[in-house]
Amino acid sequence: MARTKIHVGLEIGTSKICMVVGEVKSDGSVKILGVGQSKSVGVRKGEIYDFPQVRACVKDALVKAEDASDVEIGSVFLSVTGAHIQGVNHLGSYRLPDNEDTIEPEHVKEAKEIARAVAIPQDHVYIHHIIRRFGVDGFHHAASPIGLTGRTVDANFHIVHGIRSRIENQIKCVREMPLDVDDLVFAPIATAQVALDREARERGALVIDIGGGTTDYALYSDGMIEATGCIPVGGDHITNDIHLVTGLPFSKAETLKVREGDASGDSARSVGVVKLSDEKGFAEAEVKRQLLNDIIRQRLEETLGLLRRRLPDGAIERIGTGVFLSGGTSLMRGFGELAHEVFQRDIYRPEPPELSGVQASFKDPQFTTALGLIRYAQIVESDRAPKRGLLSKLWPFSR
Amino acid sequence: MIEFPRDPQNSIPTSSVKIVGLGGAGANMLDRVALDGLEGAELLALNTDIRTLSGSVAGEQIQLGRNLTKGLGTGGDPELGNKAVQEAEDEIRASIKGRKIVFICVGLGGGTGSGAAPIVARVAREEGAFVVMFATMPFVFEGMRRREQAETALNELAVLSNALVTFDNGRMGELVLAKQGIHEAFAAADRMISESIKAVVRLVVRPGLINVGLDDLMTALRTTRSRCLFGSGISRGKDRAQKALRNALDSPLLDKGALLEDAQSVLVHLCGGEDLTLFEIELLMESLSKHVPAKAHVLFGAAVDPTMEDQLSITLVSSLPEERLRALPTEDKDRAKEERSLEPSMGFAAPTEPKVEAKVEPEPEPEPEWVQEPIEILAPDPEPEPEPEVDSKEEEIASDSKESEPVPEPEVEAEPEPEPKAAETSEPEEAAFFAEPEEGSDEDLEPEPEPEDDDEIPFAEPGPEPVKTGKQSGKSSSSTADDDLFGGDVGGGKAQSELSLDGGPKGRFEGADPSMIDGEDLDVPAFLRKKRH
Repeated sequence: MARTKIHVGLEIGTSKICMVVGEVKSDGSVKILGVGQSKSVGVRKGEIYDFPQVRACVKDALVKAEDASDVEIGSVFLSVTGAHIQGVNHLGSYRLPDNEDTIEPEHVKEAKEIARAVAIPQDHVYIHHIIRRFGVDGFHHAASPIGLTGRTVDANFHIVHGIRSRIENQIKCVREMPLDVDDLVFAPIATAQVALDREARERGALVIDIGGGTTDYALYSDGMIEATGCIPVGGDHITNDIHLVTGLPFSKAETLKVREGDASGDSARSVGVVKLSDEKGFAEAEVKRQLLNDIIRQRLEETLGLLRRRLPDGAIERIGTGVFLSGGTSLMRGFGELAHEVFQRDIYRPEPPELSGVQASFKDPQFTTALGLIRYAQIVESDRAPKRGLLSKLWPFSR
Repeated sequence: MIEFPRDPQNSIPTSSVKIVGLGGAGANMLDRVALDGLEGAELLALNTDIRTLSGSVAGEQIQLGRNLTKGLGTGGDPELGNKAVQEAEDEIRASIKGRKIVFICVGLGGGTGSGAAPIVARVAREEGAFVVMFATMPFVFEGMRRREQAETALNELAVLSNALVTFDNGRMGELVLAKQGIHEAFAAADRMISESIKAVVRLVVRPGLINVGLDDLMTALRTTRSRCLFGSGISRGKDRAQKALRNALDSPLLDKGALLEDAQSVLVHLCGGEDLTLFEIELLMESLSKHVPAKAHVLFGAAVDPTMEDQLSITLVSSLPEERLRALPTEDKDRAKEERSLEPSMGFAAPTEPKVEAKVEPEPEPEPEWVQEPIEILAPDPEPEPEPEVDSKEEEIASDSKESEPVPEPEVEAEPEPEPKAAETSEPEEAAFFAEPEEGSDEDLEPEPEPEDDDEIPFAEPGPEPVKTGKQSGKSSSSTADDDLFGGDVGGGKAQSELSLDGGPKGRFEGADPSMIDGEDLDVPAFLRKKRH
């Protein structure tokens, strides 16, 4: 790729809508030109439930992003999430005809077709087919086995699918801006593009993006994507828990969570009482720190526990690099300690690599997914550009 | 007050109904009917294979080809099946004698089923019975040979029987989730058939306020070589009319109502408790008319059954010619007759044939303005669904429904419908219809043999049936989607709806789709849940 190209990533999150404009330079580095961010209203658990409101918010983010970057935005890479989205692995094998022993492109194609034929529920659609690896007569090959000699070709795919109407409605919402959708990306896959480098993937890593409404995860091992998914629990749930248990209004609960909450379970940090006072100095509410921290910790502990249970057997042991946390809720004090307790692995907060421009704020884990979309766009683009023919159906960002 | 006894002569006594299960598949269907409990009706199992036959729960069993096959199966040879049944013809004739209606359940493609069904049908006809044939067609993967045998038998049956209902096994996959086991798939198909049989029997046997009878049924199933469209739903509480209809349309045989678009005649039967109001019926029929073409012949019946209490059930029966199923997209919509003929058969205790005067008074349906609102919910989405840009993306939006692809999918509110499962849609309905206490438990306990002809592998039905009593409350029915996602933690059976109802406070997530994982509602604070345990 010789010329620079501008990509836009849009994440419609539960707590904020974020549009990132990035310029991919010829040397492959990414420069962030601008970010448009808007508070999100009308999204619950990662899914839109109030269209007019979300439309207004996306519009706002769009205007801000265009202002900041001085780019006219025509199309975006959209990240989607929601509890209905699932990832499964599927293997397809194709046995070569008896009179042939060299693997031809059509044989690989056939194996891929078989691998893609996963029984998904009627109302679901595919979001991603990601090739994990190929195999020839049971021996694994990372790259395409075309030209090799063998009897059977295997193609192992990671397939992400979700409910058609919900996904289409998200696209529709963006299209009404009007913006084109270049591609749909399942949020944790986008996040992983920024969070994980090649080495981390080789050694095995888990990305957890815990945002406002959902907790998305993507597990990589041996350089391949192994599992993805979404748990419909996020920061909103913590606020809601505090509201329900203490009886404080949402706004107060949110303030308490952000300012005072701690998930580490360290009893030294759970001493005394938190007082909330309004702007005139009157005390409005008092909550025992112990109670507050218990509420937060139990919620997060449960969520991570659920996530852990949904990973394939023995997957935790295969994580060599560690667990990468991102998303707004990962800013919670003591969350790293809690995650360490649950997974017994090194814990990282991802830092976006190789970005230049106005990016002091992009160290913020809240932006990881949107940045990941740019990276994803870059990978898809660079992959598509040289060989438009056969491989255009293939997104080898698992490499 | 002068008591005016409604004449029971109107209806056909159940004793004159006979249900015949023929061959291995037929025996399975019969078992299902028997275990679901059909009051009164006599069951007769016919088979060449003595082992399968002796395992049947039917009250009456006749072995075919006692001398010919000597207790073994026919090995998939219809010739043999044909000869075997001729040996036992007299026995069958004696057993069927004097019955008004004979239902024959058969799985076509194998030896006994394909070979013997035409003979049994002929015998029944000769004895003066009305013959309704329920036939399943083999899977595509069973090969051309079986398919041809089935087709041949089906052609004969189309002539010999009064009404022919076919179920395609290939469609069985749509009855259940892809990840459920094969036994579940077969069980679901059997259940579907047994539901249809029972609905038909019910319609015929019970007199209603507005009666529908055999003749209406024949009209609904008139077309030969057709596939039966059948759906039933039950609901209670506020908005029950809408919910019941939605449940009925959830039936996989109806494809969410999309298949009704092409039906020429539809039989609708409503049954409610004593508080069934005319308004509800109007509302329901109004919604239904959105799914049924204007030109279709709607055969409407209603009954009041005090045992229904505050529930309302709806049963839809229709048929679609097979060639229409395939040519669905090119269906021409311009056949004349813009007016829908709604013909309630007013069978009020007339000692004569109730249906004769039925068609005399077509009742024009009043359409109050305010009915429109709730109906919007069920209106099909007018948008043609594949969007151009979606296609240009690399992932393909899989076209999931083969026949009905270009038919606009009916969208129900924002929340997508839970995966249609035959079991759930239909089970509560019969339970209420018959109000037999033991039904629910029977359902759960019995082992379900697979309905293949020659094989003998008995599949045990897994655990308690996930009975979604939650169908009755909109909230928990919408939770199905979530349940499925997490590996179906619905094992709790009837406790399911309870759980989601008294789960605790949910704050801002009140009213949203509940997120159920492992039976816990994640929207309730973990803090509160832990404390309770």
